[in-house]
Amino acid sequence: MDAKLMIAISSGKTAAQCSQLLGHHGSSLPGKVALRLYPGTLRALAARAERGVILVTGTNGKTTTNNMLARVLLEAGYRVICNREGANLISGVTTAFLRKATASGHLEFDWAVLEVDEASVPGVAAEVDPRMVVVTNFFRDQLDRYGELDKTVTLIDDALGRLPQTQLVLNADDPLVAQFGGLASPAVFFGLAPHARVVERRHHTRESRFCPLCGKELNYAFYHYSQLGLFRCPDCGFRRPEPEVEGLQARYLEDGVACTIRRGGRDYPLELPTQGFYNLYNALAAFAAGTLLGVEPERVIESLESYEPATGRLQRFRYRDKPVYLNLVKNPAGFNESLALLRTDGRRKDVFIAVNDNVADGRDISWLWDVDFEVLEELQRNVAGFVCSGLRGEEMAVRLKYAGVALQKIVAEPNLKEAVGRALDGPGVAAYFFATYTALWPVEKVLRSRVTPERGKQHAGSRPSIS
Amino acid sequence: MLVAGHLYPDLLNLYGDRGNLIAFARRCTWRNIPVTVREIILGEPVDFRELDFLFIGGGSDREQGIMAEDLRRHRDNLGEAIEDGLVVLAICGGYQFLGHHYQTGTERVIPGLGLLDLYTQAGPRRLIGNCAVEVELDGRPVRITGFENHSGRTFLGRVQPLGRVLAGYGNNGTDGLEGVRFRNVFCSYLHGPLLPKNPRLTDHLVSLALKRVGRNPALAPLDDRLEERAGAAALARLGLG
Ligand SMILES: [Zn+2]
Repeated sequence: MDAKLMIAISSGKTAAQCSQLLGHHGSSLPGKVALRLYPGTLRALAARAERGVILVTGTNGKTTTNNMLARVLLEAGYRVICNREGANLISGVTTAFLRKATASGHLEFDWAVLEVDEASVPGVAAEVDPRMVVVTNFFRDQLDRYGELDKTVTLIDDALGRLPQTQLVLNADDPLVAQFGGLASPAVFFGLAPHARVVERRHHTRESRFCPLCGKELNYAFYHYSQLGLFRCPDCGFRRPEPEVEGLQARYLEDGVACTIRRGGRDYPLELPTQGFYNLYNALAAFAAGTLLGVEPERVIESLESYEPATGRLQRFRYRDKPVYLNLVKNPAGFNESLALLRTDGRRKDVFIAVNDNVADGRDISWLWDVDFEVLEELQRNVAGFVCSGLRGEEMAVRLKYAGVALQKIVAEPNLKEAVGRALDGPGVAAYFFATYTALWPVEKVLRSRVTPERGKQHAGSRPSIS
Repeated sequence: MLVAGHLYPDLLNLYGDRGNLIAFARRCTWRNIPVTVREIILGEPVDFRELDFLFIGGGSDREQGIMAEDLRRHRDNLGEAIEDGLVVLAICGGYQFLGHHYQTGTERVIPGLGLLDLYTQAGPRRLIGNCAVEVELDGRPVRITGFENHSGRTFLGRVQPLGRVLAGYGNNGTDGLEGVRFRNVFCSYLHGPLLPKNPRLTDHLVSLALKRVGRNPALAPLDDRLEERAGAAALARLGLG
């Protein structure tokens, strides 16, 4: 083996040990160290894949889709490398390989399944030569970090344009994603058929209402949410592609969501054990990718139906007799979907919202005003109280006030521990916790000290090895 | 009845700017002042003189271009309404467009409406971050906060600034000034959105709008403890506690 690569691997692994000693969560330091010593580290390690490297990107759902796909492949008997959530820049991706390599640089695996930050797609793709790229959706996210959405999409379009052999798995319902179907690469589309929850009106958080190809305003027959729906350009003919993998009769279950997946003329019923309508999209993406990679559709369904949410992806806990949910919120589209959960759950509940404005959250919190909190004007009837916390908890409280939530239902409590306790001990029979990125783990930590995880142990053995 | 107009809400709503309309309308409603929000849609006829309050936000470059093209046709009508006392809040791109021009690089000059004596020049890097400004409302100093994110540097001619920068960049990062005041027109680079975060400024605009329709501009006090705490927290984050 190349001596430089050897040194890079062992130094990266030493850095991993040090950073664990320091208590860093999901650190990407090992990858950073290795890449600094030898820039070819990622390329060399990714090339060891027996079968290939898969990238999963998009604004929302990439962590869940990635973990679902990793689980599908793992349970199909493959050796899988998967990066930790959040560690999705080039250094984090490199770290995922380093973790699995022995100190002597030995590394064997079949698939690497990697979630990649949108802006890092060009850099990572150039190194790993992906066999497949899955794109979930594009929403406005952390504008002050990336500039505008258009630029991000163009960046990825260029990167995919340089990969004509790569299989693309694309969301048919999102015009910003579906446009990649025009590239030279083979593409398979997934999407949702109309169902009871579609809306005819446009949401306030419109991400892109113009045709990405010609700039004319798109016509929509209906919307699933945001710009996802049945679209057609009146001018150039660009329209929602016919999906090879389509979810029919989408519906809510007691504690999950369900649909029938149609693929190749056959129907496969799917019941996901996690709430959140958007999780159907993640499952459809993982189903499309998994079956394309040769896993039997029935086995993919089995894996999806036993999927456990990652930290803060509608993670479930129990506090005394009370069901408790923890969900990450990071942009208007995702937050709107989180609020939709409050509508689905008719129980009286307490709601906790923690908003931070650190770099990883996006320093500009004005996106909170693009969230349709106005739905709470009606939904607050079933909410005992709202507890707002985090570095900008007071501003979150102001947002609720202007959305029409009664003042006596709003509490701003900057002390996170205190605030979590208040929501847990509230009079509701369920509790929902929403947190922005850097507030998520602190909130989870406080929650864990008070509650019992709802599921978890029984599946521990079959989780994708991302630890 | 106050009529609040939101100019091209589909195009110009880049940083939660619709919160400004929400705040204006709520603070009227909470005081039983009848108010209606009118969305001004691209290409549709509009008479700005029929409005009492107008909000103009910012958009991405492409959206900004579309708006500029359409709004140019209404320039004289908007100018008359402003002379007539229309209360206007323009943020970021909307603010720049009311001036003479926007100069990108060395070559290209995008003409503005020329309703305010100011111009804007593209800068080498974006000015991004939390921002605090001291403004004078009814003769009393008030500290307002927000978040700015702009690459344009704006320079004022014979118009008053909205306020003095306490923390952040403001108009251009050099002269310590932020925004513009001209008659009842208020311009600023502060997103946040600005009005919900700064209820005293909002109330000032509501008063001006009431005066314009010949009603008593005195406003009943509201319970603003949440806003005050949020403002204090924002100032504390800037070391201005
Ligand atoms: Zn078109």
